[in-house]
Amino acid sequence: MTNPLTLAPAPRSEAAERLRGEVRDFLAEEMAAGTFSTHVDTWLSGVDPEFSRRLGARGWLGMTWPKEYGGHERTAMERYAVTEELLAAGAPVAAHWIADRQSGPNLLRYGTEAQRREILPRIARGECYFVIGMSEPDSGSDLASIRTKAVRNEAGDWVVNGAKVWTSNAHASHYGIVLVRTAPVDTANRHAGMSQLLIDLSLPGITVNPIRILDGGHHFNEVVFEDVVVPGDMLLGTEGDGWHQVTAELAFERSGPERFLSTYPLVAEFGRRVVDSGDPAALAVLGRLSARVLALRQMSLRIAAALDRGELPNIPAALVKDVGTTFEADVIDEIRRVVDVLPSLDSPDPLARALAEAQLHAPGYTLRGGTNEILRGIVARGLGLR
Amino acid sequence: MASDQDLVIETVRGLLARHEPFDPTPERRWDAGLWSALAENGLTGVGLPESAGGSGGELADAVAIVRTLASGAGAVPVAEQLLVAGPAVIAAGLPLPPVDEPLTFGHAEGVRATPAGDGWSLSGTVADVPWGGAAAHVALLATGPDGAVLALLPTAGLPASGAVNLAGEPRSTLELDGVPAVAAPLNPAQVRELRAGYALARAVQLTAALEQVLAWTVQYAGERQQFGRSLAKFQAIQMELAEMAGEVTAVTALTDAAVQALHHGSDDFWLAAAAAKVRAGAAVEVVARLAHQVHGAIGFTQEHKLHHLTKRLWSWRDEAGSELVWSKVLAQGLLADGPNGLWPALTRVV
Ligand SMILES: Cc1cc2nc3c(=O)[nH]c(=O)nc-3n(C[C@H](O)[C@H](O)[C@H](O)COP(=O)(O)OP(=O)(O)OC[C@H]3O[C@@H](n4cnc5c(N)ncnc54)[C@H](O)[C@@H]3O)c2cc1C
Repeated sequence: MTNPLTLAPAPRSEAAERLRGEVRDFLAEEMAAGTFSTHVDTWLSGVDPEFSRRLGARGWLGMTWPKEYGGHERTAMERYAVTEELLAAGAPVAAHWIADRQSGPNLLRYGTEAQRREILPRIARGECYFVIGMSEPDSGSDLASIRTKAVRNEAGDWVVNGAKVWTSNAHASHYGIVLVRTAPVDTANRHAGMSQLLIDLSLPGITVNPIRILDGGHHFNEVVFEDVVVPGDMLLGTEGDGWHQVTAELAFERSGPERFLSTYPLVAEFGRRVVDSGDPAALAVLGRLSARVLALRQMSLRIAAALDRGELPNIPAALVKDVGTTFEADVIDEIRRVVDVLPSLDSPDPLARALAEAQLHAPGYTLRGGTNEILRGIVARGLGLR
Repeated sequence: MASDQDLVIETVRGLLARHEPFDPTPERRWDAGLWSALAENGLTGVGLPESAGGSGGELADAVAIVRTLASGAGAVPVAEQLLVAGPAVIAAGLPLPPVDEPLTFGHAEGVRATPAGDGWSLSGTVADVPWGGAAAHVALLATGPDGAVLALLPTAGLPASGAVNLAGEPRSTLELDGVPAVAAPLNPAQVRELRAGYALARAVQLTAALEQVLAWTVQYAGERQQFGRSLAKFQAIQMELAEMAGEVTAVTALTDAAVQALHHGSDDFWLAAAAAKVRAGAAVEVVARLAHQVHGAIGFTQEHKLHHLTKRLWSWRDEAGSELVWSKVLAQGLLADGPNGLWPALTRVV
């Protein structure tokens, strides 16, 4: 009877709840000072290095890492509370998001001592930003088919050629963890022969070309590598172990509250409208959406608790991401059916703006970080079907 | 996951197995044999304090019993007794009837309770009383001269209609015409808790049935062969099962949290229960539809066990307050602190 994808309930964390209060006070001060305005999907689009540094100064980046690397030795539950508050407020967190969420933990796991000492404290201060260099023009869901290649030269350095695409914030970041082929394709084991390189994006031979998304925003890019010489000691982890390392990274990439809160600022705005109107149909919709948020929070908290137990719950994370990103997109139509509002990016009405932002970003929710079809395949494996 | 409730779950499963819960006899509206077996094993008073005449034990034990019975479609009013009427009667200071006799609950705002001598007198009609014809006693949320009261009365001799829900579970109408009862007034907070407790009982049942339907469907997809392989090997089927699993996992997480809120006596329990009921009810649409789709025609028959749970899912989601009612209650409660109160409320409730 028990569902194999259900994790143990998360114990309530008083420390996390205290921290939540501190983050709320901080956000209220920032908003009062006018340092940012709320938007939808700000972990993709809200790049604000000053804001990231202020979070770093508060100790809210690199929260779970050891102090010797600039971290704060907090729990995943505490980090959950901080990230959730920032997302719910629609704060500009995109600059540091990937470095803090997955590149840092990846370096902590697989990096050399020198790499960790050099980079982790800068991430934790909110000064150093990362990109994910996985997808390529011909390799999306089928990531193992990548072609970007790294070959060792006589000096022992890596010479990289190829192109990565959809690379979020490459134009505003310092490093990439780039999945490359370091050995020819092995038809017997298509996951062999890949490695991760830690690449300084300012190296000669790297070109970052902007790609605009539906609302005209510049968030993702094509990153072209032409005979880029990457120092030999910038291999991350073990040569040939790239696939395994990427898979571990995905537990961090897929498990957080950003997988159901990207459109929360729209829900909050809708809530304000419902307080004013008292419309029964809108109330019912808000109740149904809220029940979904409450369930998703419990699922996501269970993942944070599992991370604190030292587990890497890849399959439950894929499941939460599927349910969560479906919710992010559903919100739009649930709301627009019960409010008489024309979505518009330049409307004076905040609900009209939030609807427009959420709609124009919607196709991305169920694609990025692994499409929902791919996630459901992983869940099916968890159910023992494949 | 091993839990402290394993023993009680095993006991209930054993009893269910002996009572053939999936015996397709639509005329068997209630399972007297299963009830007596549960009562003999001391399971019909679990979670109710011994001092009040219950068998003691934790809320978690009572929930485990209700869940196990729900996943086996046990035709007995145990959810009503252990999670709704029993606790309500005790909280109101009324005498708990012997726990080996079934006790049920009804929303009876249309029933007038008037003091009469040492006791009370009840008049009016109450519909949708679960197991109304089978229970020995019923606790009714009725209307007294100064507001709500909880009234307790034996059902012997009362005319009860034979109405049933989609699954054939009795949902009777009782006609009361000056019927004597004991009763106690309830304040608005108590009324709110009682309604929420009823909703949570159904949410717990829904959760268990949803989990079971998923498990049956996964199993069936692994066994049924077409085109020379099991259905489970088809990607279209995998997508459907994964979607069901997402819904079921969400429901379990929230219902567990709502049970915890009750256990800890949280002030927000009623909102947690409302949310659990809404979320579980919403999952029924997807889970029941896809379960039937994957089972094909065999699942559309009386002989196959699937309908025992899907029909319960389709009924339970609208009982104890419909999805519409509870979603509005939830939204109003979450917005109680004004236009900026939604997020603080969402992070406080569970
Ligand atoms: C906003 C956004 C930001 C992104 N940021 C980054 C980034 O920073 N770094 C990075 O490396 N990548 C990034 N990506 C890329 C992302 O990881 C890919 O979009 C994703 O993996 C899917 O690849 P694709 O777009 O090539 O689609 P495809 O793989 O071509 O898929 C197209 C469709 O076919 C379906 N499909 C494919 N294979 C199967 C299968 N086996 N079974 C069933 N259906 C299948 C997919 O589910 C999808 O619906 C980003 C994407 C978005 C939208």
